[in-house]
Amino acid sequence: MAESSRADNRVLLLKLGVIACVMFAFAWALIPLYRVICEVTGINQLVKADAPAAVASDPAVTAAPVRLRFDATVQAGLPWQVRPLVGQMAAPRGEFVRVDYEITNASNREVTGQAVPRYLPAAAGNYVKKLECFCFRQQVFKPGETRRFPVVFVIDRAMPAEIGEITLAYSVFDVPGQGTP
Amino acid sequence: MAISTTAGHAPHAHGKPTGLWRWLAATNHKDIGSMYLWFSFTMFLSGGVMALCIRAELFQPGLQFFQPELFNQLTTLHGLVMVFGAIMPAFTGLANWLLPLMIGAPDMAFARMNNWSFWLLPPAAALLLISFFVPGGAAAAGWTLYAPLATQMGMGMDLTIFAIHILGVSSIMGSINIIVTILNLRAPGMTMMKMPMFAWASLITAYLIIAVMPVLAGVVTMVLTDRHFGTHFFNAAGGGDPVMYQHIFWFFGHPEVYIMALPAFGIVSHIIPTFSRKPLFGYTSMVYATSSIAVLSFMVWAHHMFTTGMPATAQLFFMYATMLIAVPTGVKVFNWIGTMWQGSMSFETPMLFAVGFVCLFTIGGLSGVTLSVAAVDIQLQDTYYVVAHFHYVLVAGALFSLFAAIYYWFPKMTGKMYSEPLGKFHFWWSMIWFNVTFFPMHFLGLAGMPRRIPDYALQFTDFNRIASIGAFCFGLGQLIFLYNMLRSIRHGQAAPHKPWEGAETLEWQIPTPAPYHSFVEAPHVEAGDNGVIHSMTGGAHH
Repeated sequence: MAESSRADNRVLLLKLGVIACVMFAFAWALIPLYRVICEVTGINQLVKADAPAAVASDPAVTAAPVRLRFDATVQAGLPWQVRPLVGQMAAPRGEFVRVDYEITNASNREVTGQAVPRYLPAAAGNYVKKLECFCFRQQVFKPGETRRFPVVFVIDRAMPAEIGEITLAYSVFDVPGQGTP
Repeated sequence: MAISTTAGHAPHAHGKPTGLWRWLAATNHKDIGSMYLWFSFTMFLSGGVMALCIRAELFQPGLQFFQPELFNQLTTLHGLVMVFGAIMPAFTGLANWLLPLMIGAPDMAFARMNNWSFWLLPPAAALLLISFFVPGGAAAAGWTLYAPLATQMGMGMDLTIFAIHILGVSSIMGSINIIVTILNLRAPGMTMMKMPMFAWASLITAYLIIAVMPVLAGVVTMVLTDRHFGTHFFNAAGGGDPVMYQHIFWFFGHPEVYIMALPAFGIVSHIIPTFSRKPLFGYTSMVYATSSIAVLSFMVWAHHMFTTGMPATAQLFFMYATMLIAVPTGVKVFNWIGTMWQGSMSFETPMLFAVGFVCLFTIGGLSGVTLSVAAVDIQLQDTYYVVAHFHYVLVAGALFSLFAAIYYWFPKMTGKMYSEPLGKFHFWWSMIWFNVTFFPMHFLGLAGMPRRIPDYALQFTDFNRIASIGAFCFGLGQLIFLYNMLRSIRHGQAAPHKPWEGAETLEWQIPTPAPYHSFVEAPHVEAGDNGVIHSMTGGAHH
């Protein structure tokens, strides 16, 4: 093989190697990239507070009250008991709704947890505007501590009338590496 | 036709090395290609045994042979072994064997890197297989290794992650070799738009591998750091998101589907013209169709994720983009049919497998279009309909094309003819039992049977029995192939110089079997579309 073609091969090898490395970096860049896309488009903003002004308050749109159910699931590894004080209620659209959750740390160590809300049907998620929620930040619990958290939200009047029932279900996760063992 | 087998020795000429060293230190593209092919056949058999374990368990409802944990490990490793151990190395092996012959190059561009690409594979395969025997067993999260399952399992998952790293490095190096060989080492006269379709398909596939295997390596590394170093990429509690894993994985995963399909398209585009004794219909459109499939494959990843709660606009985008892929794929299918149209066809084993490929791949493609409809997919997600769909494109697609390729180039590789009756028997046996195995899975999926479960509701029993019987027969039939190959290598009849009347590409212009050092001097060729050689001068071998 001629020397010149050997050199050509090496240059191409280098270029292709750089492409492979850039694509490896791209995989890691996808994490912040997706985060930015979600922020810009407003997808996946479940654990952020909504501004009260964002709620459409056109009184012309009226519909029957919405049946609300509350639930909470604690994921493995988190020694917490999480329960809503009210299992279900009927709430009018466009008005503040308050429900209390009681959380107990059933272990003798300090534990940090994070709640992530989920809505059923998922389409209701865009219309439940949360103003106050324990899911907005990680919660640190001392051994044996019990606390009550108010969850305050408004159901947007713009919500389609065919959604007559919403389940608000929290999954509560252990935050490893936090708290004392 | 001019064939010159020079008697005089070039300064660097040497004979065939012997013994174990020939294989350990192999730099000859034919030796490395053969090792790739034998390796992938071994992995095909091990993945096949896992598949038969799965089908044995599913023969009747209830738990007979395996606990659910082991069953999940079997489904996971069956997928990983077949995708990364059998199909991908087999295509790389064929590319190694055939590309230099098809484009008139003396060898692959980087012979020593080629050696390393191959020898990384056995350790990676060993990591995958020994993971069954570590505490906690092998990875059991499905071949997609979804978080949060993948961030929770035992050390079998770590072994799998390392195996994927090694396999990734191997396939990236193999791909760089393929690209450099094709772009820089073509013989004079073999221009890009005259190149045979297998070379085009290998080139585009190699680019896909370089673009997406590093992404897979990246995402499994994130799983690794989530598991051991306290990061929260996919941990909701720490601000991460498990759905993010799926987005990154399928950015790799969908092009991966075409990594396993495009070389098959290339192979079939050689075999159908040969046995139809007609040039390939629409060569240029074939090249552009292959390229556009590759480009589109980067824009459809979220059709694997219709049930993750995407906004409706995103679902519509991915649905239409996915349907768009049916257009270039349809171009290819119609071109193959157009090639056969009014051809003087004969049905030797390679042609049987190629025509079988066209029929069954089209069925798999159509069930893919069905699944691309978001509203339908939400119903069918993770059911046996999906299992049926991708086995039609991977077994009847990739695997059948590989069988076709081995039968087609066997005389050139070994200098012997395989047994035609056994080959035909292998085809019909595989064709029948493949359909017996996988066709009922469509019905199971439509009726709602979920995939990746060791037990099922009673009403699914009959179709599962049929599928299990089909799977065992299909599996046994592959031993006929092994027997045919081994027997023919030793005792097969000497192959004529050109065993196929209609074969016109460059690899058929050199002696049979292919000389150990072929094209040590580049030939001058006058080529037509799809690498059809009109005349060749020069090109010495020894």
